[in-house]
Amino acid sequence: MEHLLETIGRNMFAIFGVLALGAATVMVASRSAIHSVLAFLFAMLCVAGCFLALEAEFLGMAQILVYAGGIVVLFLFVVMLVEMSKKKEKEVFQLQSRYAVAAVLIGAAAFLGVFRKVIFGTASPEALVLRPELAQGLNVARQNAQAVSRSLFADYLLPFEILSVILLVALVGAVVLAKTERV
Amino acid sequence: MVSLNAVLLVSFLLFSIGIIGVLIRRNALVILMCVELMLNAANLNFIAFARHSGSASGQAFALLVMGFAAAEVAVGLALVVALYRKRDTVQVDDINLLKG
Repeated sequence: MEHLLETIGRNMFAIFGVLALGAATVMVASRSAIHSVLAFLFAMLCVAGCFLALEAEFLGMAQILVYAGGIVVLFLFVVMLVEMSKKKEKEVFQLQSRYAVAAVLIGAAAFLGVFRKVIFGTASPEALVLRPELAQGLNVARQNAQAVSRSLFADYLLPFEILSVILLVALVGAVVLAKTERV
Repeated sequence: MVSLNAVLLVSFLLFSIGIIGVLIRRNALVILMCVELMLNAANLNFIAFARHSGSASGQAFALLVMGFAAAEVAVGLALVVALYRKRDTVQVDDINLLKG
C-alpha cells in the first residue's frame, strides 16, 4: 500500500517533470508571443503536477488557481493589447466560433461526466467508501494542509502580513502605471 | 519518496531555461514569463526540501513566493503596457530611454 503510493508519486514526478521541461523549452523557443503564453500555461500545470507528486497538495491546487486562473489570463490580456499589430497574432484572436462551440461542448460533457451523479442521481444514503490506499492518501493530504496552515499562520505570520501589504502596493502601483497619461 | 536529486535536477534545468530565455529573448512579455519560470523552479526546491526535512515551513514559504510572483506580474505587465503606450513596442532592443 505504502509502496503503491510511492511508486505512483515517483512516476508522476518523472512524467510531469519531463513535460514541464519540454513546455518551458517550447516557451523560450517559440516565435509568437501567444504560443509562448500557452506553453507557459502548460509548464505551470506540469509544475503543479510535480507539487502534487511531492505531497504538497494544497500548493499544487494553489499553483493551478494562481497561475492558470490569474497570471496566464493577465498575460493573455496584455498580449491581446500589445501584440495586435502583427497579422499572425490578429488571426488568433479573431472570432473562431467553430472552435469555441467545440470547446464549450467538450467542457460541458466533462462537467456532466464528473457531476452526473450529484445533479441527476438521488441523494445517496450510504457514505462514500474509498479504497484503503486512496483513503490513506486523502488523510495524508489533510494532515499536510493542516501542517502548512499552522506553519503559515503561527511561525510565519509576519511575512504573510507583509506579503498582503506588498500585494496591496502592487495593486495600486499597477493601476497608477497602466492608467492613461491625461488625468 | 521522490529522490531529492531528481527534484533538484528538474528545478535546476527549469531555472536554466528561465535564465536562457531572459538572456536571448527580446520580447518583454516573454522575459517576464521566464522570470516566473525561475520563481517556480525556486518553489520546487522549497517544496522538495520541505518534503525531505519533514517540516512544513518550506511549503509555507513557497506559498509566500507564489503571492510575491503574482504581485510582480501585476506590476511588470503594467510597466509593459505603459511602455507600449509610450514607445509602441515591447521589444527590449528598441527601448533605450536612458541612453543619453
